[in-house]
Amino acid sequence: MKRISHRMVFLIVLVAALLLGILAFTVHYFFRSDDWVVFSGSPHVYTGNNLSSGRVTDRSGTLLLDSTDGRSYSEDAALRSATMHLLGDRFGYISSPVLNEYADELVGFSKVNGLYSLTDASNTAVLTISAQVQKTAQAALAGRKGTIGVYNYKTGEILCAVTSPTYDPDNMPDVENDATGAYDGVYLNRFFQTSYVPGSIFKLVTSIAALENIPDITQRTFTCSGTWEIGGDTIICNGVHGTLTFQEALAHSCNVAFGQLAVELGPETMTAYAEQLGVTESLKFDGVTTAAGSFDLEGAADSEIAWSGIGQYTDLVNPCQYMVLMGAIANGGQAAIPHLMARVEGGLTDRYTARTAYTETLMDAAAASQLADMMRYNVVNMYGAGQFPDLKVCAKSGTAELGPGTTPNATFAGFIQDENYPLAFIVIVENGGSGSATCAPIAGQVLNACVAAMQNEG
Amino acid sequence: MSQFFESLSALAQSAGLADLTGAALRYLFPLLALLILGRCARSLLLFQKEPEVWAWLSGPGGARLAVTHWETLLGRAKTCDVVLDYPTISRTHAVLTRYDDGSWTISDVGSKGGIQVNGESTSMAAVDFGDRIALGGVEFQLVPITKEQEVIQASVRTRAGDEIRPGVTLFFLTVFQILTAFQLMLRAEEPLPIGSAFLILTGIQWAFFLFMRILRRTGFEVESIAFFLTTLDLAVIASDDPSELRKQLVCIAAGLMVFLIICWALRDLERAKKLRYVAAAGGLALLAINLLFGVEQYGARNWIYIGGISFQPSELVKLCFIFVGASTLQRIMTKRNMFLFIAYSALICGCLVLMSDFGTALIFFVAFLVIAYMRSGSFATIALIVTATGFGGVLALRFKPYILNRFSAWGHVWENALTTGYQQTRAMMCIASGGLFGLGIGEGWLKYVAASDTDLVFAFVSEEWGLIMAILMVLAVVCLAAFVARSASVGRSSFYTISACAAAAILLIQTMLNVFGTVDLLPLTGVTFPFVSNGGSSMIACWGLLAFIKGADTRQNASVAVKLPPRKEMEER
Repeated sequence: MKRISHRMVFLIVLVAALLLGILAFTVHYFFRSDDWVVFSGSPHVYTGNNLSSGRVTDRSGTLLLDSTDGRSYSEDAALRSATMHLLGDRFGYISSPVLNEYADELVGFSKVNGLYSLTDASNTAVLTISAQVQKTAQAALAGRKGTIGVYNYKTGEILCAVTSPTYDPDNMPDVENDATGAYDGVYLNRFFQTSYVPGSIFKLVTSIAALENIPDITQRTFTCSGTWEIGGDTIICNGVHGTLTFQEALAHSCNVAFGQLAVELGPETMTAYAEQLGVTESLKFDGVTTAAGSFDLEGAADSEIAWSGIGQYTDLVNPCQYMVLMGAIANGGQAAIPHLMARVEGGLTDRYTARTAYTETLMDAAAASQLADMMRYNVVNMYGAGQFPDLKVCAKSGTAELGPGTTPNATFAGFIQDENYPLAFIVIVENGGSGSATCAPIAGQVLNACVAAMQNEG
Repeated sequence: MSQFFESLSALAQSAGLADLTGAALRYLFPLLALLILGRCARSLLLFQKEPEVWAWLSGPGGARLAVTHWETLLGRAKTCDVVLDYPTISRTHAVLTRYDDGSWTISDVGSKGGIQVNGESTSMAAVDFGDRIALGGVEFQLVPITKEQEVIQASVRTRAGDEIRPGVTLFFLTVFQILTAFQLMLRAEEPLPIGSAFLILTGIQWAFFLFMRILRRTGFEVESIAFFLTTLDLAVIASDDPSELRKQLVCIAAGLMVFLIICWALRDLERAKKLRYVAAAGGLALLAINLLFGVEQYGARNWIYIGGISFQPSELVKLCFIFVGASTLQRIMTKRNMFLFIAYSALICGCLVLMSDFGTALIFFVAFLVIAYMRSGSFATIALIVTATGFGGVLALRFKPYILNRFSAWGHVWENALTTGYQQTRAMMCIASGGLFGLGIGEGWLKYVAASDTDLVFAFVSEEWGLIMAILMVLAVVCLAAFVARSASVGRSSFYTISACAAAAILLIQTMLNVFGTVDLLPLTGVTFPFVSNGGSSMIACWGLLAFIKGADTRQNASVAVKLPPRKEMEER
């Protein structure tokens, strides 16, 4: 009998296997149940295509979306259009990464109590954007394709993230059969999901590389005769600038000077700076993963290296990512990483509150400060400080050539140097022509709206 | 009675009573369950393992060795029950067997020196007290224990139910049942059938308890665990489809009958041994009927319909299989080959594969491995069998690739959420929705998914009762298996030990396949969770398996499967 009874050891093996499995699942539950619970097939949290994610408001409490019972957007059609790409549409064409990311918080899920709630009280997501700024920005684009972003480089709050074209989710146009091209790429959120040819705003990257690597750069002068022959190719400038200092070269956006700087710095240094400054990286926050930019000098000829330093060749930047770089210049080399979700309110305490995180140090504080001064010089001497009364705006414009016969994209990026309104911004208008002429007035309107929104908060 | 129910539901509608009581009960239920299972587990797992002494073996020089089992292996090896360290005695020499009527036999199990009883060489002979037994020339005598010793021994052994009263446990279980029924009735459109179903269950369980008391059996933990799981079963059905309550109650009653019949069969080992042949034939007959008249449902042809009642014969074959597989020590030691048993197992597994009931085939295969190992003790043999079967399986998959499709979603259910992973993803979503304490009984959504009350019952309970309750449900099964493992060393006959281990193994494997299939740790095979899944045949089979576990309960006055001395003798002490 002893022999037989000792063989019951296999029962212990089976029991151990069962307990191990249960333990593994329990651990799995604690790590993954917040994903499981918002699974798109769940009738507990979904109505049709959309998550029943409670209420969503802007930073000042303006209701943007109420999905506690069905799905109703704001009553203001302009606001509906201006926020649709952040909130998602009704039919699943446009998703909302930020609401999906916090879905488990929004539906009131907790690992202990599941979805159980005695009172059925809904939770409220408070976004960092301002409804008023969104509307102003959308109106400023006036139907032209493009994007506008503004964020606080000290706290990371995104005040404005607008993309165009858009439409009213309660009054959806016939996008499929549209022949005018007015809705091309309407399902994209251009601010996060696209990369643009930057044009001359990229000269800021070249400038940082120059400031950090060429000791006497501020004493240097450049000579521009309108063109520069290099390696059998011609770099064409936007004018004949004559003799220029470095500061004047940036202000006049002299292609010859920046082409020469790029070649002098060399492909390794230029590539290293594009990477270090985050141009080629994706930014990840609040469920958003931005498109990565591009900077590729693999096998490039000297003339191509020159063009890459001017923001042409194969250069691409993502607007949101580039806006953060503006923040870093403003903030001494390091900026807050942006975020869209301020907090999730539910019950007595907030279920989630955003915390500010920072980028790595992207550049020397000295280089950042020098470049900021140069960008201020741009505004004062070139774009006109009158565009931004009362605001100490520093900026760089760009006119991104897309090819023969196509009107270039207008680009404009910069920041406000002000402790109370530490805002970095980017404006891109597709086929907008001249950067500063098209974009500076838009930036002015939007920044004023932002400052007003911040003033209202006290 | 019905007036009371009507007023209850009226009250619920007016005041949101169901919401309020639900809020409190969702924390109370796990506590009650823990209390009930804790009491059962403490009682089952912490008893004193005092061996029973059935006789003495007196050897040369007056040495007295205790014979503590009904089947005792004698020999020189350390692993023998009674170690006789004499050079002429073989390593395993003889098996001494006690019978129900108190008679003894001794049989040679391949010794060199042979056996002589009262001077006559024999390979197997009856032995009376006082007979001279020579093993390899060394003489022993079998000495009876006195009545006095027997009574002292009985008083020393842990008497079942002395420390932790099963009646009190049952009282807690009754509270659990009343609250469950109450909560379900507040939600239900027709509360009456639900209320009466729970009333009947509680009634059956107390009647059964009292019946056991009349039979002087005081151990009720194993049954309490089964009744606890059965309560969850009724709650699942009441939430999913109350019209099936009546059928399930009938099957619970039938299960109890099967439980008693098998207990009765096990009380007399000679009777049990004879029943093996009936069971073998019965098992084959059931499967033959199934193959001839089987109807396909959910991909497996394992259902038959008799007069509108559906039935799964393969569930009952499990009971037959254990009867066939269990064996006495004397038989194991003399007839070492298991050819017949292997052939029988292969036949049964073959039939199940023909019905494409792979889940059940897997259960039988594991049960077979368990029994084969218990009988042979040889890992090499088991490894050989597993390898051979593995090769067969690979070949089968190669020639019948459609079988693979059943397992294609395994580990990738979230990528196949609309097709092959549909059930598992919904199950996990519902487990998460329920959290640790559940959404409330009757409040789940999983009931709208196919087979949620059988294959996905772990998730069903988890959604409505919470993950804690679902895990307690698994621990209840673990508790039964742990009890079998603990009792093995004081088992009387290897027949009981092997059958109890096999039954516990089947319960464990079913639990594993069911739970792990639901949460995508294993492919979903459609196996029932013991006692909890909705299913009549499965319920009956589970009570049958429980009888084998009960048969291993050798605590004083614990089991109906173990005979007691006549009442008169008990009273004398």
